[in-house]
Parts: sequence; structure tokens; C-alpha cells
Amino acid sequence: MNPYLAVAALVGVVSLMLLLPLVPALVELRRKSDAAPLNVIQQHAGEIRHFANSFRTYIKELEPALQQCVASGTNDSGTMADGEEYVVLGRADQPLLVALQQHDAIRPVVIAAGTDVVMPPESTFSKEIYAGGRFLGGEKNNYRAILGEREVHLGGSSCVMRWVHAVDDFTADLGCRLYGRVSSDAVIRLHADCNFLRLNAPRIEIGQAADHLDPTPPGSTLPANLGTGASRRFFHDGDFKIRAGEVISGNLVIRGKLRIGAGARVCGSVKSDDDMVVENGVSVEGSLISAQQMRIGPHCAVHGPVIAERGLAIASGTRCGSGENPTTVSAPRIEVEEGVVVFGSLWAREYGQVVAKG
Amino acid sequence: MIYVLYFIVLLICIYTARHYWFTLNRLFGFQRHPYIDIDTADWPPVTVLVAAHNEEKVIANILSALMTVKYPEDKMLVIPVNDRSTDRTREIIDEFVERFPGRIRPFHRRAGKGGKAAALKDAMELVTTEVILIFDADYIPGAGLIKQLVAPFFDPEIGGVMGRVVPLNVGTNLLTRLLDLERSGGYQVDQQARMNLRLVPQHGGTVAGVRLSALREIGGWNDNSLTEDTDLTYRLLLHGWKTAYQNRSECYEEVPETWSVRIKQIMRWAKGHNQAMVTYGLHLLLGKHRATLRERIDGTLLLGVYAMAPITLFGWLLALIVFYQGVAPLHGIIAVLSITAYAAIGNLAAFFEIAAAVRLDGMRRRICLLPFLILGFGVSIFSVSRAALSQVSDLATGAEFHWDKTERFRKAL
Repeated sequence: MNPYLAVAALVGVVSLMLLLPLVPALVELRRKSDAAPLNVIQQHAGEIRHFANSFRTYIKELEPALQQCVASGTNDSGTMADGEEYVVLGRADQPLLVALQQHDAIRPVVIAAGTDVVMPPESTFSKEIYAGGRFLGGEKNNYRAILGEREVHLGGSSCVMRWVHAVDDFTADLGCRLYGRVSSDAVIRLHADCNFLRLNAPRIEIGQAADHLDPTPPGSTLPANLGTGASRRFFHDGDFKIRAGEVISGNLVIRGKLRIGAGARVCGSVKSDDDMVVENGVSVEGSLISAQQMRIGPHCAVHGPVIAERGLAIASGTRCGSGENPTTVSAPRIEVEEGVVVFGSLWAREYGQVVAKG
Repeated sequence: MIYVLYFIVLLICIYTARHYWFTLNRLFGFQRHPYIDIDTADWPPVTVLVAAHNEEKVIANILSALMTVKYPEDKMLVIPVNDRSTDRTREIIDEFVERFPGRIRPFHRRAGKGGKAAALKDAMELVTTEVILIFDADYIPGAGLIKQLVAPFFDPEIGGVMGRVVPLNVGTNLLTRLLDLERSGGYQVDQQARMNLRLVPQHGGTVAGVRLSALREIGGWNDNSLTEDTDLTYRLLLHGWKTAYQNRSECYEEVPETWSVRIKQIMRWAKGHNQAMVTYGLHLLLGKHRATLRERIDGTLLLGVYAMAPITLFGWLLALIVFYQGVAPLHGIIAVLSITAYAAIGNLAAFFEIAAAVRLDGMRRRICLLPFLILGFGVSIFSVSRAALSQVSDLATGAEFHWDKTERFRKAL
């Protein structure tokens, strides 16, 4: 073999071997099949009512049919533009829903009711429901999603898979499981043994006892926000306890465990790098932040956000936020006793549970 | 000489292990996003500073975006910091001031020291709110971004906040695609892993925030620094303030589209970073302050990131010299095994990190471009080394630092 040819062949083969791993790269560079910017959510940004708002827009198509059915007291059915089947109820018509029953589930259709509607018990509704009037769900039902223009009331042991939004009050009876988002423009009421993930309403009442609470926390005269500017900051390395009844003015950063004694008042925000225990009757004007577990109450008032990075337990009689200044309570796992009121958001990333009063 | 080489190899191994630690943490560890759930609160008043020096191509985009964000209008004031612009920047800002009365207060700076830090320092006379957010003019904030960046300040330990930067002009050319991959690795893995592990997330000086009382406590903006963001990160840390990284607070930016602009940018970053290393490195590692042990170690390693480029080049040179001197490092077989092991695992560390980041972002095909990153790394290693050398020669000759503004490529509105 010609030595020049051999060298050329060797160089060629080696070059080919070196270039081979670059072929997918060269192809992608030329085709630009994945060259769009990362999709940054510019608009809804986690807005809790996003799905409810989208569904309201989607259901607009049924508005003429709804008005007509309500006026004539009749029902209608058909197919939406995207091929989804629907049933429009012009009157509270449980028999019709029973007629849609297939074994233990309602035929998968979008249900739009123009008036008050009562859902039969022990049924599964695998498509969205729109209620123009009051919505009263039977016990042990399973829902995909509900949008109610007035009150929404779920019977005991019901389950919502994706979201619920009620323009008026939302109530979940004993043992409901609320996966996804639950929001109301008025009040959310959860009874004992309910599970939840993400709740948002001007007022969230946990259990019966919450009804008797004064809506404004006592002694909250300082703003909970960060606007004061000149707030002092105290540091402590290691565990720390604020004595019972003590009044602290300023922000606290504790690099250890923190216990706030009964009846103490903190005019500022508190952070602990470890577990935090807030005893009976404590009032905090700012936020409470724990990098681990937090236990609050009973009968505490926290004005600002409450964040626990691992877990949170809130005892009866505690209020978070106020009607004028709603706030966020968030942790991966939350246990809330009956008798707690949260104004704003209550967000359990992994698991939230209502427990009966101690 | 051989011991210097051993030391360099040790340093490289430490950084390699760090890459793996961060990546594995992001893939399998506990992810911290403590403040992202705060969607309802008594939101504090906030000032948004928009640094702008000859930004006629982009300033309208950011001002338009800021006027539509979801934050109480009466609690948010936008201050465009027009730093001695000679183009239409002033004119465009003034048009927005007229269109949105009371919501934008311009700060037109006509003279003074150059650089972003100096401009921000002068603009502070207009700031009265406890929370300050900072954007460069080429960024486009989304509707929920302001609340997300303000939320961490409810934690009294937080002095600074950093959001995630996402390139907008990804598909322009090879460089923008490589920078997109680098940014993914830097934010999706590096920054978030530091947040998860309670280390030192870095303040990036844009898509970022700072607490006014913390800023005052540390002495305000340092206008002698080439990278005011790195400088701020370390001064906050030394004074017991944490910087929070919010990975889900994403904001579009424009990345350089030409290699010359990229080289200038990375050389400025390198010089600023090295400057911070000299100023704070020893004190951070050994001094008396509130940083934890893990923050001291990670902070020091972070300060040394840009110094590693010339050190690596020097290591390569030493290895050659040692080879031609006929010195066998360790016992020959151990050296061969070590080199083979490093070639198999160590060299892949940065690529593994970026591939993991792209996967976490839910992207697929752009991972194919990973081999081209060698090109980006090659350019970076020589540019950063050149920056370090020029910094040393500047020190010897007493020359002052020069601040280079990054050129924009977007078409003006």
C-alpha cells in the first residue's frame, strides 16, 4: 500500500472518530430544534385562582345555553368547541344527574348549572363543574374541579383532585381531602380530619370553634411589614428562650432552638435556625421563620408570614394575619387544630391536616 | 516544584468534588424554597433601581414590564438610574415618567465616577424604602417577580436576594447557546445547591434585592469594586446577613452575541472577583465574624473560582516542565492511575453539572451541544488568566480599574 495513502487514511479515520461524537452537536446547532428560551412564567406566577379563571373563560361559550335553560327551567346537553361533552342544568335536577350515573361515576361530562345544585352522594365527577348558584355536594363524592359563583359546600369524606373556587363561602365537612388549590373570595371553612394542600381566602376558619373568635388580633398596632427601616436586629448563637410575658422590640435572629414563653410579645420578626416553640398567648407583630419545625399556640396572634421549612403545628385559638393585613402560612407539612383562623394563604406543600381540638 | 504541582492538583480535585457535590444535591437532595410560597402579605414599600448607561435599545422594555407587574402600585417606585447616557436613554425614560405619573422617579446622572456601583451609590439619595430591588436595563421582569423577590425580606436574617437569570436570545448563534448552557449550570445547579446546603448563594447585582438597613450597616455600595455584586455578597456575609437565592424567580436577560463582548464581560467579572478575593478572602476564612464554618469554606472556594484559571494554566506548564525534567510524580503507576481516574471522572464534573441543570429545566436536545462547551471553557480560561495577569501588572504600575459596559444587541423599540 502507498505509504502516503496509508497516512492519509489514518488521519481521515482518526478525524472521523474524533468528529463522530460531535455529530449530534453539529446537527442541533444547525437545526436549532431546542433553541427557544426557557419558558419563564410571565403572567399567572402561581396565582391560586389561575385555573378557576381559565375555566370561567372556557365556560363562557355555554353562557347563552345557561341563560336559556335557566329562563325555561329546562336542561340541555351538547359538545363544546374542543369536543368536550357538556350538560347544562337550568334547574336543580338531581334525577338528571342520577340518569348520567354509570356504575359509581357520573358520565365524564362538563356540568354547568345555572341555579342551585345538589349533587347525589357517593359519585365521581371526573370533569369540571360550574355552579351559577349554590353548590351542595353529597357525602363521599369525588370531584375533579368546581367553580361556584356562590357558596360551595362539600359533604363529608369528599375528595377534590385539582381545584375549587367559590365566590362566596367554601365549606368542607368532616374528613374531606382537598388536593390542589382551594380558594374563596369570602371564607373557607374546614372541619376536622380534612386534608388540604393550598388554601387562599380573606378568612380561613378551621373547625367550628373558629366561628367564635374575634377577627382582629389583640394589640397589633405596629405594621407587620418591613417599612419601619430602623428596626433593631438581635443575634444569638445557640438556643434561646424569651421569658413569659416579656416584651421584645426589634427583630431576632437565633442560631439555635427558640422558645417564646407564654404571653410574650415581640414587636418585630423572629427567625430561628432550628426548632421554634411559641407558647400560649404569644403575640408577634412581624413574621415567624423557622429553618426546622415550628409549634405555635394555643391562642397566639401572628401578624406577618409564618414559614417553617420542615413542619408546622398550630394549636387552637391562634390567628395568623388579620382582615386588613392578610398573610401566608407555609410549611411542607402542616397540622392545624380546630379553632385556628388564618387570614390569607395556608399552604402545605406536601400534606396539611385538620386535627380535632386537643 | 513537584510540591507546587501537587498543591495545584489538590485544588483542582477540591473544585471537582464541589461540582459533583452540588450536582448530586440538586438531583437527589432536599430542595429549599422557603419563601416562594409567600403569595399573600402586607407587602412593604419597595424601590426598583434600573441601572442604565446608554440603554436606548432596551430601557423601554424593562420600564414597560415594570409598569405591569403585580405589586401594589402605591408601594412600588421605579428609579431608572440613567448614568451619563449619551444616547436616547434619557428621552425614553422621561416619556415613561409622563405616561406613568408618580410611579417612576428618574435619576439622571450627568457626571461622576464611572461604573454601576458608583451610579447606584449616587441614586441612594432618592431611596427611602427598606427593600430595594436592582435590575440591569436589559432584563424583562415577569408579572409576579417583584413579590417573589420581596418575599425573602420577611426573614430578618436576609440582607440580600438573588433571582434566576434566563437568556432570552438563546438561538442567535453558538456563543449564545453555550452561554445558555453555562447559565443553566450556574443557576439551576450551583446557586440552588448553595441555597439548599446553607452555603453562600451569590448576589448577582441584577434580578436581585438588598435590604436598606443591611446596606447601610455594611457601608453602602462600594464604587471601587468592579463587581459590586460579589463585593456586596461578602460584605453582607461578614456582617451576619444572608443572601437568599430564589430559583423560581426567573427573569429574561440578553447574553453577549459576539466573542469580543463576552471576553470583555468575563474579564471584568474575573477582575472584580479577584479583587474581592484579595479584599475579603483571608478575613472570611479566619476572621472573627458571624459566618458559619461551611459558609467560610464555601465562600472562600467561591472567591477562588476565577483564580483557578491561571492556576490551572500554571499547573499544565509545571506538569510539562516536570515531565521533561524526568521527575516521576509519586510512583509512576500511582500517577498514571490518578491521571486516568481524573480523566474519567474529574474532567466530566462541569459537563455533568450542566447536563443535570438542563435536565432539571426539562430541556432535551440542547444537551447535545455539551461537547462545544470545551470551546467556551477554552476561551474563558485564557481570558480569565489574561485578566488576572493584567490585574497584577495594573497593581505594579498603579493603573486604575476601567469599567466596561456590556454591549446590547436587541433592536430598539
